[in-house]
Amino acid sequence: MMAVVGVLVGMLIGALPGIGPPSGVALLLPLTFGMEPTSGIIMLAAMYAGTMYGGTITSVLINTPGESASVVTCLDGYQMALQGRAGPALGIAAIGSFIAGTIGVVLLMLVSPLLARWALSFGPPETFALMLLGLTTVTMLAGEDPLKGYISMVLGLMLAMVGFDIISGDARYGFGVTELMDGIDFLPAAIGLFGLGEVLAGAEEKTSQMKISLRLRDVLPSLADWAQSKWAIARGTVLGFLVGVLPGAGPTVASFLSYTVEKKVSKTPERFGKGAIEGVAAPESANNAAATAAMVPMLTLGIPGSATTAIMLGGLMMWGLRPGPLLFEKNPEFVWGLIASQYIANVMLLIASTALIPLFVRALRIPYSILMPLIILFCVTGAYSLKNNVFDVGQMLVFGVVGYFMKKLGYSPAALVLALVLGPLAERALRQSLIISDAGVGIFFTRPISAVLMLLALAAIAVPLAKWGRSVLSPKP
Amino acid sequence: MRNADRITAVLLLIVSAAFAAGALKFYKWWGHDGPGSAFLPFWLGVVMACLAALMLFRSSKEQLAGWMPKDEAGKRVLVVLGVTAAFIALLKVLGMVVGTALFLIVLVRYLGRHRWWVTIAIALAAAGLNWLVFVYWLRVPMPEGMFWTF
Repeated sequence: MMAVVGVLVGMLIGALPGIGPPSGVALLLPLTFGMEPTSGIIMLAAMYAGTMYGGTITSVLINTPGESASVVTCLDGYQMALQGRAGPALGIAAIGSFIAGTIGVVLLMLVSPLLARWALSFGPPETFALMLLGLTTVTMLAGEDPLKGYISMVLGLMLAMVGFDIISGDARYGFGVTELMDGIDFLPAAIGLFGLGEVLAGAEEKTSQMKISLRLRDVLPSLADWAQSKWAIARGTVLGFLVGVLPGAGPTVASFLSYTVEKKVSKTPERFGKGAIEGVAAPESANNAAATAAMVPMLTLGIPGSATTAIMLGGLMMWGLRPGPLLFEKNPEFVWGLIASQYIANVMLLIASTALIPLFVRALRIPYSILMPLIILFCVTGAYSLKNNVFDVGQMLVFGVVGYFMKKLGYSPAALVLALVLGPLAERALRQSLIISDAGVGIFFTRPISAVLMLLALAAIAVPLAKWGRSVLSPKP
Repeated sequence: MRNADRITAVLLLIVSAAFAAGALKFYKWWGHDGPGSAFLPFWLGVVMACLAALMLFRSSKEQLAGWMPKDEAGKRVLVVLGVTAAFIALLKVLGMVVGTALFLIVLVRYLGRHRWWVTIAIALAAAGLNWLVFVYWLRVPMPEGMFWTF
């Protein structure tokens, strides 16, 4: 039941242009506060799936991706819509998502317990190395400018330092403000950065009503369409899952990669960009498989694979669940409930997307001038309902302004939010490691797992630095 | 763009220096058995300062003009922000339901110039729905305001 509501609400939110999965999940998270943790996370997971598909709708119909993972879908999806084939495009995307999501859940079920058992042997040094790897890879992939990505990430870590220190009990950077003693909550920050920030950026454009004239007589793709895209879906699924499991590389990378692969293996690569149905099927399957796979590192290691899973991770922690290897032992009913609900969410998604597409098309016609105040209202209510505290709403407003400027100047709000969520955990792991080693940094490099993770993390820092160094040293053309 | 980056870099330098210095001044660098509460903040300040310095001295080839919104667009952003700030500041005075309705009337009218009855209908419907979902269904106690109770 929660999954049904979640998918519908998620699709509706995701279909609104400018609101992607991170903003959607951040906005909807407060809705789940009044619920049991299990039903709450089920709804959240369903919303995640829903927002993913919602982004596809806008990509195909109005060439505006609702989220970064649907950017590639625009290429061929919008072309198909122009040729009057929006129905099959959305249909194949839904079917591809369904297949990929379902297979993804099965793989999630098989892989997670193994990974969790392995991760149980992790001590503080491994945890810290893993978090560092998660932070650096997300940052590296987040934006065009790695330097700005790292600045966003370190800023997030600095903000995470505010509040009581877990080990010594010092109240840091509180400036005597009582509300700051508990630290900066990630939810007002996420709602502000993603929700309000997006709205403010959108406010710059003069509002215009979107015009979509299209009849969705048949959403179901024909047999020929199906034959053309079945292998694309299969390849997209496998690739998407593999990419999604890696911490840091989320659905966006998966969708881009699978599009490139499809183009490479295709016998008729010239059709791509001109409405090839494989060009819709592959990335849509890949991003859904990756979205499911991103839950693997989140649940087993406590490391989110994307901005959206970072927000979900924060949600879990608010319910007092500590994601990580122990989650499988301590709260099995929760983990399996989540996995089962993912399965239901996928079925719901297929039904809802084929039956209700005309309705969502209508939702797109709501002018931005009405939509925007409503989204702000949602931001305010959401930030308030976390702790029933107006101070949090004020925080949300401040982060909204910060988010607006970050967006304008090319910084990465995703890296900031991730750092804010992981910051306290990373600090504790770091200090525990240093206590164990008597302040020697060597502890991170002498333990094998930790050493490998640390080297990968350092590579993620070194690559952009080397690129930058080469561009400075090489003679200017 | 270049200018904006430079200003940001200088601001970040100042903030990170203050952040690191503050850590050393107010908190313990080393506890009795390991790093204290000043340890990580100090290093974060140092790293941030390095990143900011890197950005300050980075030679950016392209100079993107026009990151600042144009007059009219900037005004719209400011109005939206201002109205939202006022809404939040007055939450405790007006209460959630009345505040929401007023906020929506002002902003929807400003942005869209819809007819008055459309504007008011949307505001009332949204305020009512918001109350229904959060207060009635999810039992989140919303600010009630000084004059009304819901």
